[in-house]
Amino acid sequence: MLDQAIHGRVYLLGDDVNTDLNCSGKYLPGKDEAFIAAQAFEAVAPGFAARFVQGSVIVAGKHFGINSSREQAVHILRRMGVAAIVAPSFGRQFFRNAINNGLPVVECDVSGIEEGDSIEVDMAGQKVGVASRQLTRPLGAVPEAIRAILREGGLIPFLKKYPDWKITA
Amino acid sequence: MGSTLAEKLLARHAGLPQVRAGDLVVAGVTFAMVHDARAPNTIRMVEKMGAKSLPFAHKTAWVLDHFSPPPTIEAAQGHTAMRKFADEHGSVLYDIGDGICHQVLPEGGHLTCGDLIVGTDTHSVTYGAFNAFGTGIEGTDVSAVMATGKVWLRVPESVRVVLKGRLQPGVWAKDVTLHMLGKFGAEGLNYRAIEYVGSAVEAMEIDDRMTLCNHAAELGAKAALLEADGKTLAWLKAHGAKTPAPLSADADAHYADRFEIDTLQLAPQVARKHAVDDIVSAHEVIGQKINFALIGTCTNGRLDDIRQAAAVLKGKRVAKGVRMIITPASRQIYLAAAREGLIEALTEAGASVEAAGCGTCVGITNHLIPGDREVVISSANRNFQGRLGNHDADIWLGSAATVAASALTGFITDPRTVAGGQWEASHA
Repeated sequence: MLDQAIHGRVYLLGDDVNTDLNCSGKYLPGKDEAFIAAQAFEAVAPGFAARFVQGSVIVAGKHFGINSSREQAVHILRRMGVAAIVAPSFGRQFFRNAINNGLPVVECDVSGIEEGDSIEVDMAGQKVGVASRQLTRPLGAVPEAIRAILREGGLIPFLKKYPDWKITA
Repeated sequence: MGSTLAEKLLARHAGLPQVRAGDLVVAGVTFAMVHDARAPNTIRMVEKMGAKSLPFAHKTAWVLDHFSPPPTIEAAQGHTAMRKFADEHGSVLYDIGDGICHQVLPEGGHLTCGDLIVGTDTHSVTYGAFNAFGTGIEGTDVSAVMATGKVWLRVPESVRVVLKGRLQPGVWAKDVTLHMLGKFGAEGLNYRAIEYVGSAVEAMEIDDRMTLCNHAAELGAKAALLEADGKTLAWLKAHGAKTPAPLSADADAHYADRFEIDTLQLAPQVARKHAVDDIVSAHEVIGQKINFALIGTCTNGRLDDIRQAAAVLKGKRVAKGVRMIITPASRQIYLAAAREGLIEALTEAGASVEAAGCGTCVGITNHLIPGDREVVISSANRNFQGRLGNHDADIWLGSAATVAASALTGFITDPRTVAGGQWEASHA
């Protein structure tokens, strides 16, 4: 999947979005993932989950996913059908969890990208673009192993295929 | 060009002659930790992986510390599942009351200099105090570690922080980190490895060095690393660790940044309510009333922290209306504090000493629920609004000495202004 670029509608979120508060069961004990997904980001963007269309891209501010090391936050985003997240920086553990669960996360300057834009995230081509705004942002090189983990849908399917971590394809 | 300490450690475990910041490595893990807040997810991921065997599960410790004691049936059931898992797979189990993961791993002799240690907790950076690369991972990662012995890591950029001079009596590693949080902001060193060096680090005892590395999690650090010295080696030997194989940075290593802090000038610091990076010196806020005092957690629940509290409170009483909880970071610390008479002194002073664990830090045990508009001064690492179960209460952070001095007076207090507040570990 990731050798091809991801195209989707942009949903904006701000800086320092703490997924612990907005996207995990920590403060909603006993609630299932479907319920939590329906409330996701409610505190910072009312109605977000209801508006969000499967296959779309979240474009967020700096430190997306800080303070939370809960993998569940990524499970919720996968359940919502988030195709990729673009932000200037991520919380370290959130970044790991996203890759381990097959959710593409890329770091770049997001200034000028607006809600509702049609965005292209091209990891192989190392760029993010919004054609309607003639906007292109470079991405750092994504190591082959990360691309392989994402291509297989996460670390567990990756290790089922490559139990010794050696990428043969 | 030479290598940073982080690059050296990760190259060793990746089996490569050299690695550079930004490289992705698959590295062999020495030992891993799973605590009870992440164990249910880890067990789910193990099931999802469907591995026939987990050949590296015996190199993991399963630690029951967050839900200790379990406040719900669900948590108790989680513990039952952890005990069963550890039994079946030969993992090391630390049960309720044994202590906090980041304390029991080094105390149990599970790590030594030069190791790669991963744990399901952001404060796994603590192990850097022993010249080991310690970092946080989640359930999927640790499942992969148990199955393959390996983890993927992006080699971090490093920042070298020189702590010049020497901390003055009454000033601790906690104050250094709070000062840095004020300077860089929360997550201000996101993804980076911090190498702490300098005369102030050399002068610190192991307990304070663990605080220094532990609290780097709030700066966003992926690792916080110290070089090994005689104190490190003696401590590890006393705790039954394997033969250490220390590493140090090369003189010509590349750092993303370098900073110097003159520790002689540093005063006791506090983080004001709701933000770990809203930092002032304690003496700037001396009129601030407090209602609750907590000494404990993986950041400041060690023996020297409890000694700081006892030095201030022995033979005294906490201020009228102030409640105080002491939570030793481990059973070993609890026992040592009891043998030294610290538990007795603090209990007589009006504190309640609870069994080792970390649930009180994050509001899981419900042992410390502040009332509306009440103020907690805590030696913990985080003070987000509502962390202790009441959104209408405030949490401030400071060293154990600052917390104890504040409990004594009922107001945020610079420990250097009260008797015993200048107690020094090296003179113990």
